[in-house]
Amino acid sequence: MTDSVDSGAAHDGVRRFGLLASAMAGRPVDVVSAAPGQPAWTDGETMFVDPAISTGDQRCALAVQAALLAAGSLEPDIVRGIGRRTAVAARYLAVEGHRALAQIDELLPPAVRALIDTDVAARSDSPEASLALALSREPVAASPAVFGTIKPRNILAASKKAAAGHHAPRGRGQPELVELPGDAGDDADDVVDVFTSPVGGGGGLGKLLAKMLSMARKLSDGGGPGADTPTHRTRSGQVGGGHAVVSMATAPEEGRVGDASGFSYQEWDIHRRGYRADWCTVQEAEPEPDRSGVPPLPDAHGLHRPLARLGVGLDRCRRQTQGDDIDIDAAVEAHAELRAGSAPGPPSGWGTTDEAVYIDSLRRRRDLSVLLLLDTSGSVGQPSTAGQTVHEQQRAAAAALMVALHGLGDRVALYAFQSQGRSAVRMMPVKRFGDNVSAVVLRRLHGLRPGAYSRLGAAIRHGSAVLKRDGGTARRLLVVLSDGLAFDHGYERAYGAADARRALSEARRQGVGCLCLAVGAGTDTDELRRVFGSAAHATLPRLDQLSATIGPLFRSALQSADVRRRIAKPTTRGVAV
Amino acid sequence: MTAGARPYYVAVGNEEQVFKASFRQGLSIVLKGPTGCGKTRFVEAMAYDLARPLITVACHDDLTTADLVGRFLLRGGETEWVDGPLTRAVREGAICYLDEVVEARQDTTVVLHPLADHRRQLPIERLGVTLEAAPGFGLVVSYNPGYQSVLKDLKDSTRQRLVAIEFGFPAGEVEEKIVAHEAGVDSDAAARLVAFAHAIRRLETAGLREVASTRVLIAAGRLIAEGLTAQEAARAAIAGALTDDPIVGRGLDEMIDVYLQD
Repeated sequence: MTDSVDSGAAHDGVRRFGLLASAMAGRPVDVVSAAPGQPAWTDGETMFVDPAISTGDQRCALAVQAALLAAGSLEPDIVRGIGRRTAVAARYLAVEGHRALAQIDELLPPAVRALIDTDVAARSDSPEASLALALSREPVAASPAVFGTIKPRNILAASKKAAAGHHAPRGRGQPELVELPGDAGDDADDVVDVFTSPVGGGGGLGKLLAKMLSMARKLSDGGGPGADTPTHRTRSGQVGGGHAVVSMATAPEEGRVGDASGFSYQEWDIHRRGYRADWCTVQEAEPEPDRSGVPPLPDAHGLHRPLARLGVGLDRCRRQTQGDDIDIDAAVEAHAELRAGSAPGPPSGWGTTDEAVYIDSLRRRRDLSVLLLLDTSGSVGQPSTAGQTVHEQQRAAAAALMVALHGLGDRVALYAFQSQGRSAVRMMPVKRFGDNVSAVVLRRLHGLRPGAYSRLGAAIRHGSAVLKRDGGTARRLLVVLSDGLAFDHGYERAYGAADARRALSEARRQGVGCLCLAVGAGTDTDELRRVFGSAAHATLPRLDQLSATIGPLFRSALQSADVRRRIAKPTTRGVAV
Repeated sequence: MTAGARPYYVAVGNEEQVFKASFRQGLSIVLKGPTGCGKTRFVEAMAYDLARPLITVACHDDLTTADLVGRFLLRGGETEWVDGPLTRAVREGAICYLDEVVEARQDTTVVLHPLADHRRQLPIERLGVTLEAAPGFGLVVSYNPGYQSVLKDLKDSTRQRLVAIEFGFPAGEVEEKIVAHEAGVDSDAAARLVAFAHAIRRLETAGLREVASTRVLIAAGRLIAEGLTAQEAARAAIAGALTDDPIVGRGLDEMIDVYLQD
């Protein structure tokens, strides 16, 4: 794939100005290279600057474009007034550029301030006045070359694209969709060429936009600028947000219970950068139990130890060497034994016996609910590296985790999922939170047959909704067992990967830790990273490696739910904007 | 405590009046604001003005009620009661300042309730006594609302017992004055540091968890006063303090070059 190479090389390119440009513009923008010799311009989300000119000129050019954004000079209403007249655009820029710079004067670095022509800036006091001036016959001196240019059509196209967020859901009861040709083998194409999807904007303009934005798109695949450098096994969740996850709308809380037909969930559309409301319908269907003999009890022995130390709450513990209170019983006993002369211990025995006479609050109480999501789409029917199918391996991992967590006293549920298009996402409760681990549960688990597709995002959203509704503990964890191939009708790889990543970050924001395991699947790590993003994830070629890695993975997933988040901070006083 | 000079604090709004009015009325106070904006310094200055001793407790997530109120210790065959910082403040009539109070366990903050409302009492169940707060006792807590964990928030019953004073970063000129005074640099260097900080504060979501606070600006200023260049000082005290991420770090470097070059 090219994206890792790209993001590696980009460090030295103009993208390093991204932070500077965002600071001056007061909103997140990307900076990418324009064609050599072209003047700088912006569409409101991305700034294009000639990589060949000097650093000082680049900074000035970015400052001008950022000032235009910050001063509201490129609002659609104004830009529409310019229309296609390039002469008007140039005259408008010559006036408005100075005015915009003067408006954010205090925020500009000293070198850029020298650009401002206060006489010109004084001629206008608003974008509207500048536009009126540009449309009049009054003489206007041409702007310096570093001012770049304004491209009205691109700005309008970008703002329209950003506005097209929500969509009316299609009517229910659509006919069952037919088989789609699989896209295995062309994964190199469908990631780069994300804009030619049937749902994304096509046409000449769409292609142009696709070309312009493709650099910015790639950024999100390898993690945003604030994300940790992704590795094979990420231990920490994403802390800061990158451009890729800048939300335009806050995610509505939970799936709505529709009528008898199931639960409705939104879906993230990467092409439009917005949610499609009530897009997916999740149905809970009882799984068919396997009736052929008694299923084997999974071997969960190795998992007890690493899992036992996780997700524990406070408990009062007696006979501690330090603590909040004196354990009167222990103290009396120790004293009585001492008086009786029977205190064991070294010659200075007093010190040792009276030490453990306190009551302390220690983290020992189990305080964790886990929901295991098992992918039973057709792709897991493939043979795995170890001979069995991926499904058999994942099923064994799910069973082992379920039995181990249940044995430790955690609340645990296991749901399997598969889908046939957005209106038929099937979730099969193998074990609900209230169920005991019994032969019935194991029969249900063994009765699962791989088939259909996997709409991972909807499954994750439903899983975290169930966890929030029924989990009942402060610490909640969602474990996704999947081969990482998110694919369905109208849910091709790049789209599906973006939606799954989005669903995981929504869950984390609601305080649900997320952990993704690919057991025995041959999916490469790049693909997994695209789907699972910054959530803790691991690829395990064989099942017996689970016990070695599960401890750190669980811990990191739980921490990611506890991530401190920044909420809107008060605006800084004293900044003239 | 009251000897020496008044801790340097420049009022931004009416916070000094609100604090002193609340204190005289026996109301408890919560200071809200981002890290490094001067909450602790404000309390120090107020304690000086009101001539009360100040007892500060930095809260952490294993802070128990006993850590605040006190506990029995064993000495020989006898038990001995040892006052915690809160009990000491109640007995002496000091200002008790609980820094980052949301970090403390929720069952711990409940002990503040009878002290924070009209009762102004501290029941100590282990001793079987109820202490009346001595005249001059004041309870001040602080927290950073923009920097909280999903699992942690103040209980509503706690919040409603407190008078809130909101803190932001001071306005440009004021912040320049503070940086110049605290760091001992000239007003030009202070102005450039403040301009740089304002640029960083405009970055809403660019991978930075926190923005540049007045505290890091003062740290950078002190390095400048020691003879480092503005760029070196900002790299060490500001960029390094804000991020570990190499890509964000490079973006900040670029900003430092633009805003702070000589």
